[in-house]
Amino acid sequence: MSRTVTIDPITRIEGHLAIRIKIDSSRVVKAFSSGEMFRGFEVILKGRDPMDAQQITQRICGVCPVSHGTASILAQDAAYGATPPKNGRLIRNLILGANYIQSHILHFYHLAALDFVDITAITKYKGRDPVLRDLKKWVKGQISSNVIYPAAPFLPRYSGKYIQNTGLNILAIKHYLDALDMRTLAHKAGAVFGGKLPHAATLVPGGVTEKVTAVKIAAYASMISKLQTFIDKSYLTDVGEVAAAFPEYFRIGKGCGNFLAYGVFPESANNSEKLLPSGVVVGGRLRSFDAARITEDVRYSFYSSSSGLHPVQGQTVPAPHKNGAYSWLKAPRYNGTVVEVGPLARIMVAYLKGENRAVKKLVNGLLAKLGRKPKDLLSVLGRHAARAIECKVVADRCAEWVEQLVPGEPTFQDFTIPKTGRGVGLTEAPRGALGHWLEIDDHKIKRYQCVVPTTWNCSPRDDNGNPGAVEQALARTPIANSKNPIEATRVVRSFDPCIACAVH
Amino acid sequence: MSDITRRKFLELSVKLAALMGLGTSAIPQIAEALGRLSAGAAPVLWLQGQSCSGCSVSLLNSEEPGPAQILTGYISLLFHSTLSASTGDVSMKVINRSIDEGGYLLVVEGSIPAGMPEACIVGKEHLTKQVLRASRNAKAVIAIGTCASFGGIPAAENNPTGAVGLPDFLKSNGVSTPVITLPGCPAHPDWLVGTLVHVLKFGIPSLDDKGRPKMFFSRLIHDQCPRFADYERENFAGTFSDEGCLFNLGCLGPVTHADCTLRHWNSGTNCCINAGAPCIGCASENFAARASFPFYRKGEQNKGKER
Repeated sequence: MSRTVTIDPITRIEGHLAIRIKIDSSRVVKAFSSGEMFRGFEVILKGRDPMDAQQITQRICGVCPVSHGTASILAQDAAYGATPPKNGRLIRNLILGANYIQSHILHFYHLAALDFVDITAITKYKGRDPVLRDLKKWVKGQISSNVIYPAAPFLPRYSGKYIQNTGLNILAIKHYLDALDMRTLAHKAGAVFGGKLPHAATLVPGGVTEKVTAVKIAAYASMISKLQTFIDKSYLTDVGEVAAAFPEYFRIGKGCGNFLAYGVFPESANNSEKLLPSGVVVGGRLRSFDAARITEDVRYSFYSSSSGLHPVQGQTVPAPHKNGAYSWLKAPRYNGTVVEVGPLARIMVAYLKGENRAVKKLVNGLLAKLGRKPKDLLSVLGRHAARAIECKVVADRCAEWVEQLVPGEPTFQDFTIPKTGRGVGLTEAPRGALGHWLEIDDHKIKRYQCVVPTTWNCSPRDDNGNPGAVEQALARTPIANSKNPIEATRVVRSFDPCIACAVH
Repeated sequence: MSDITRRKFLELSVKLAALMGLGTSAIPQIAEALGRLSAGAAPVLWLQGQSCSGCSVSLLNSEEPGPAQILTGYISLLFHSTLSASTGDVSMKVINRSIDEGGYLLVVEGSIPAGMPEACIVGKEHLTKQVLRASRNAKAVIAIGTCASFGGIPAAENNPTGAVGLPDFLKSNGVSTPVITLPGCPAHPDWLVGTLVHVLKFGIPSLDDKGRPKMFFSRLIHDQCPRFADYERENFAGTFSDEGCLFNLGCLGPVTHADCTLRHWNSGTNCCINAGAPCIGCASENFAARASFPFYRKGEQNKGKER
């Protein structure tokens, strides 16, 4: 007997997402992903000063503002003919890198882990760690009190299969708490050169406004070193532990199997070399990326604008009562194909390209340790593993970049804003490929279009009826209890959705 | 309460007293407030409207107290979309029962799409309706961030959703629950933690005519600016990364009320003006409001000089 279940709201992601699944014989047969919040950034940006864009677009998302700021200043660099000096390029990477680390740690421990870890195990804690003893006391006190929701926000939750091993649960709880400090530390590192986070102040076309000093180099280096230790000792290990406890999630949530990466973290002045390269994987084969092949369909989206447009011609005309529409997300496609973006896409592209030796070594090492093959990465656990590996690659490189800064050398190159111009900013947010398309006329923004990672991943069906990446990944997911569809939420969360980004 | 916890509370109280500008005489009272909070006396319901979650992320950046201490020792966070273990129907049960029971502090993040209710939906319900239900039964409402306080970027000129800040929305719907506004894009974690403690121990703090706690928002950024001496000497930066007062680059410190330049961000790490970035007035009621009023004067300077 088939039944339809709507999971609304999907929590522990960014923003407002609802997932509707049709379940038949205890498996998902169809899924619909609905983004439920719209603000109209592309409409608001029209007619404004082009430099407003880097500040305004950062406010699309409080989890990955630096990525939007980066996309915007790259688009403006291109439109103004500005090239940041070496210090400026390195500082941009250091701020973006710090926010990657913050975002990845937040995602694994605070957003995703509560689907696997049994928080109630803390009541069985018998050790002497004062922090854990206090937490145990709090949970016990809450449970025996008359408050309506004891131990909120950690309870209530879906019933389902959580980790059984008490010691492992308690270690994970300890790391949940450590990770709170670690993501805060990553934001502090970003603020050393970004002024503040979230919503960095210093990103401008031509470089950054902040300067290099020996004190700042030392502060950033010290913080990144602590983060590297946490990533090596806790994050990578904990992903392995979750994988060992839930091996079936190497087979669940496979998805479309196509991947897209624009590449991120420029290693040269002209952006030709990047730490994580660009590329497209379709049918297991790596191809080069061509930005001209991007289009956005809107047949099932709440927009009355034309469908199938390239972002250079993109339009955003809201139509909240549109017949047949079920999401505020558009449906981006690459060469007409559904693709997945994010850490798994970046790691797949880098792995297949083979130029980044650290990626190759880490992926092979982890697969060997878990007794898995590269194809197993196309899964819920593959996404978590790729994110953790990427976190290490980025942190290790940040530790090297900061040592290349030179105090007293410029961080900014001046520019003039032309009367008319165009620019494209292609980068990667922690959640995947991010592009901003800018057109200037009479010194003002004439058109601004953003195609955002979660727009790719959580898109509704396209004009041809092809489901989006998350919709496809949900298909065939086993659901033990349709009143507690925890398996479906594990699949959705493995993509780290951000709906404020996706709709904007 | 264990000795360790009590000692920690006193240490934190000293820091809180410092951040609230209360002086040391208030420390025992604040410690008592924290003790009462830990008894579960302060249920908090957190709803997100047209938000970017930046204020939530900013709150996680609080170090003294840290987020775990806030959740276990300060407030009882009934629901928060980014942190709650619950999801789907379980979340909606928590939200609905919490509203029915009442007596909580409501925190709202993000603007309200008053002109297009379909632009924000939580659990199949328009946020416009949900936030009215939740506000009516709240002891007090805290509008966190510029979007919830004044509308912010979603309410900027030409916006398609008719977005407004929470105080305006509640007023036009006849809801009289007291509202405290904590603007800033994002809001500083100290502003929320300090306000929560004040509400619980001393009641609603002294507010200005826009609902902002005077303890954080009574003075202009400009009056507390590290580059004030440059301004006095008319030593102005000509372009980004120059030394000097940032006024000619568009700095809005002279019209923006907040204490960023004294408090600094990310636990004292830095702040916009110290990092060479002009204040863009993100805590102002006029933040991003008009399309013709740019954040930077760079474009203005360059006009006629372009290639």
